[in-house]
This record gives sequence, structure tokens and C-alpha cells, in this order.
Amino acid sequence: MKRPVLTLYCLLVYAFLLAPILVVVGASFNAGNFLTFPPQGLSLRWYVTFFHNDVFMRAIRTSLWVAAVATVISGTIGTMAALYYVQHAGRWKEAVRIAMLAPLLLPEVLTAIALLFFVYAIGIGTTTMIGMIAGHVLITLPFVFINVSASLESFDPSWDMAARSLGAGRLARFRRIMLPLIKPGVIGGALFAFIISFDTFTISFMLKGIGTSTLPIQLFDYLRTNFTPEAAAVSTVSILLTLVGVIVSEKVLGLRIHRF
Amino acid sequence: MTEVSIERLTKTFGSARAVDGISIRIADGEFISLLGPSGCGKTTTLKMIAGFEEASEGAIRFDGKDVVNVPAEKRDIGMVFQNYALFPHMTVDQNLAFGLEMRKIAKPEILNRIAKVLDMVQLGGYSDRYPNQLSGGQQQRVALARALVIEPKILLLDEPLANLDAKLREEMRVFIRDLQRRVGITTVYVTHDQAEAMTMSDRVVVMFGGRIAQIGAPSDIYERPENLEVAQFVGQVNLVKGTVTGAAGPGKSRVASVFGEVAVDSRTDHAPGIAVTLSLRPEAIELKPAGRGRAQGKVTARYYSGSIIDYRIALDSGETLHVQTFPNTRIAEGDRVSVHAPADGFWLLGAAK
Repeated sequence: MKRPVLTLYCLLVYAFLLAPILVVVGASFNAGNFLTFPPQGLSLRWYVTFFHNDVFMRAIRTSLWVAAVATVISGTIGTMAALYYVQHAGRWKEAVRIAMLAPLLLPEVLTAIALLFFVYAIGIGTTTMIGMIAGHVLITLPFVFINVSASLESFDPSWDMAARSLGAGRLARFRRIMLPLIKPGVIGGALFAFIISFDTFTISFMLKGIGTSTLPIQLFDYLRTNFTPEAAAVSTVSILLTLVGVIVSEKVLGLRIHRF
Repeated sequence: MTEVSIERLTKTFGSARAVDGISIRIADGEFISLLGPSGCGKTTTLKMIAGFEEASEGAIRFDGKDVVNVPAEKRDIGMVFQNYALFPHMTVDQNLAFGLEMRKIAKPEILNRIAKVLDMVQLGGYSDRYPNQLSGGQQQRVALARALVIEPKILLLDEPLANLDAKLREEMRVFIRDLQRRVGITTVYVTHDQAEAMTMSDRVVVMFGGRIAQIGAPSDIYERPENLEVAQFVGQVNLVKGTVTGAAGPGKSRVASVFGEVAVDSRTDHAPGIAVTLSLRPEAIELKPAGRGRAQGKVTARYYSGSIIDYRIALDSGETLHVQTFPNTRIAEGDRVSVHAPADGFWLLGAAK
């Protein structure tokens, strides 16, 4: 420990970031009837309750489904936008960037209200999940865009020229050269999109239809009337799901940067 | 193999003419260098031959067929880039196979050709390495192999040695030249390094400001430069003022200068009495102890660099000369010397401006 002050500072930052999570996880193993920390005795009873709670199970399925659909759409649109932005936007470059990042700059509640008006104005309403998914795509798009355009900026145009000189057409160049080289950015962006969609409250709250509550909304509803450790169990499971998502993508899809 | 003919090729960017109506005929199997300072249009010309830049005017013919409207991926060229542009996510083998796969060549044949080309560039056993596991020189050879394995019509090289250190650069010059001779492929090489262009090429095309200043064999460019700009670009040169005193046979004029009256080679004849500029290469000059001889002077500086010594001489008549001699010359800074220049060391550049 050569730099005690710096080390202490880092430990404090980590404590600040992780302490609330540890409290929630700890509270979820509560044997008592109330959401308290430290837990009153250890037990898995609230997990059992949670896994038998149909409402929560349905909410988790809805959340996963919405996040998956939103991620696929957002990943595709965001990657295409990043490609246009880096390679073809020319003097519109700055304008494209600001437009793509706009959902990040506007308060989420404004985006949500605007979108709510919009879906009713065009007659879609909230009877289907289209509005909610559109909202999730909107707020996750900037993360895909930022990640993919960052990896595109480090894409050397001479790789593309080399591939052309070797006889590769447009599609072959995209599939064999560009996509593998920007893959870390695309996967990173998609991962962000998934987690943010899974986690978002405001957009879902405004745009959800009847019986299509996502997990955060269901949790909020639950906490209004109940204060049991089941809420902590729900949170812990949702943290775990996110963590598993990150680890699996890293191992299976290869999030790590290619050997340059 | 392929003969390349470039006819009145022009590239304009807005109102700027990056390449301005150049014409070059490249014989089958010839090694041609485009030599010039940055911004002279050499790289743009290469990119037009490759198909990465669209020609604004003019024609590029491979064996008589105009390829201006053929996209790069259909031109059947092999190209080596300055930064090699090896695909970082592919092994050496995969890099080499890429062009063959695009040509739908059968797997056994691909393996066969890769083995052959790796042998040719002396990289057998490196098949499974990734580009970042190779040294600069090895990456260079993989890039060369990748361009050659597809057996293209022509080979294009864009300053391929610029990123290598001096010693490796000299090795690679010889390596590329030998390989090119063995394969017998028509080659266009872009460089701003005159020594590189001279040692490797059959002919050198010197370019300035989008135009061709001179095309010729390396010795032609060096010994008989078209003008002052060319003379100064392809090596160090002393400029000597003189006056024509008469003719001295075909392509020779008698010129009086500080070195006396000598018969000087020239491209055009000049009338007696005209003031001209002569070029005199530093290595053509001989230094002797002061005494006899017309041109006397004093050594103002001496730079020892192993294989040669560079001298700066201030002549009594006011000119400064740059002289290169063998390192066994025992002349020190401050010594007085007499300067001798043989008649064939001079070249008449043209009328003095």
C-alpha cells in the first residue's frame, strides 16, 4: 500500500457504491416478517414466497421479453446509425450525434409523457406493448450508438480497402471484416441496452398497458402496500439476472477486445 | 501478365488538380516507382489505378482494356498498404485465404497456394500467428504475400517501407525487388524516398504538383535530370554558374565556369554567350591539397559518417560547394584545398534564371 490516501479513497467509493446492494441482499435472507437490516435470522423463505408469486413471475417474464425485443431493435437501429454517423454523415455529423443522444439529455419523464401523447394521437394507445417497447428502444438507443461508434472510430479504413483489393464485395466486407472488428462495441452496447431496459421505471410506468407490468413497476406496486423481505428477494434476483447476463455475454459472445 | 497504360489521367478535388493529365506506359513485368514529395499526386494516382479513387478524366488500361469504371474489388489487383492493413482478427493463414475465398477457390487449392506463398516470403511456420504477434518486417511480408497469393494482374505498393527502421528497410528493398523479379509481376511502387525508388525500379516517374517532371531509368534521372527541381529532389547537387562558349559535338556544349572551360553534356543546344546553370554532384568532386588548379578554397566544415565524409568548401570566388569523398581523405576543417571536377561530373541543367 504505497498510497494510503488513494487506497482509502477508493475503498470509500466502493463502499458507497456497493453498501446499498449488500444491504438489500442481506435483508433478502431475512427470517422475520419485515424488511430490516441486519436480518432477523437467516432464511430463504422470502425467495420461496417470491418464486410462488404469480404476479412477480409474470412481471419478470414481461421485463425479460420487453428487454430482449428492445435490445434487438435498438441494437440494429443504433448500429446502423453509428455506421452512418462515422462513415457517411459528413457535415451532418454533429447534428446526427446530438439527435441520437437526445433521449439521454432529456429528462426521461418528458420523453415518457411525450411518447404517451404520441401513441394516443396516432391511435395505437397502450392496449398493446408497442408503445412501451418503442419507449425502451428510444432510451436505450444512445448507449448502443455511443458504444458502436466508439469501436467504429478505431476501425482502420485501410482494412476495408485491403478487403476490396482482395475482391470482397460490400456484404462480404461487412460480414467478414467490419462486423467481427466492431463486435465488442455492438455487444457492449446491446448489454447496456438490455440492462437499462430491464431496469427502467418511468417509461414503463407511463406506457404500460393493463396487465403488462414490468418487474420494477410490480415491485413499486408491492412496496406501496407491503414491507416484507420479499421485495429484497425480488431485487436480489434482478441483480443476479443482470450479473449473469453480463458474464454470459462476456464468455459466450466475446466481449473482450480482439487482439490488436 | 499485364501491361498498364495510363492516359491523360486527371483527378480534381473541387478546383484543385491533384493529378493533372499524366500519361505513363508500364510494360509487362516492369517495376515502376512514382517518386515525389507529399502532395505531388503519387498516392492519388496509385489509388486511381487500384480503383479507390475515381478518375476525373482520362483512361487506365490493363492490357488495352479501360478499367476506369470497374470497381476496385473487380480489378484484380494486389495492394500493399503503408500500415500493412492486415486483418487483426485473422491469423496469417486466414489473412492469406481471404482473397482466395472471395474468388471461390477450393479449399485444398487454397492451402496449397498459402503454403507456397509463405515459403516465398520465408514465413513458413507462422501460419497461426495473429498480426500483432509478428514484427513489423514480418507483417510487411505477410501483406506482400496476401497481395501476391491471389495472383493479381498488377501489384501496387503504397510506401510499404515507411514504417520500418533503416536497416530493415534496406533489407526489404532487396527482398521486394527480388521477389518481384521472380514473380515477374507488373508493379507500381509509391515512395517519397529517392534512394528506395532508385535501387528498386526499372524506371522512375518523378512527380511534382500533380504532373510528371521526368520519366526514366534511375541513372537517367540521377545523371541527366530534366530540370533543377528533379536534380535537387533525387540527391544533393551543387549549382555552378557558367557561360556557353560554343558547341562541342552532339549533345555537348563548351561552358566556361569557375572550374575552367569544359565540355558538358546537355539535353538541348545553347547558343554561345548564354548564361547557364550546371549541376555538379558532390561525389564527382575531388579535393587536393592547395596549390595547382583553378578553383581554390577553404574547408569550412567536415562531417564524418563512416562510408563517406561530407565537406563544405568555401571557394575563393565566393561559391559554397558540397563535396563527398571516401573516408580515407586526410583533409581537416580549416585546410586550404584545390577543387577538381572532371568534365563528366557536370550536367547542363538549362539557361540560368
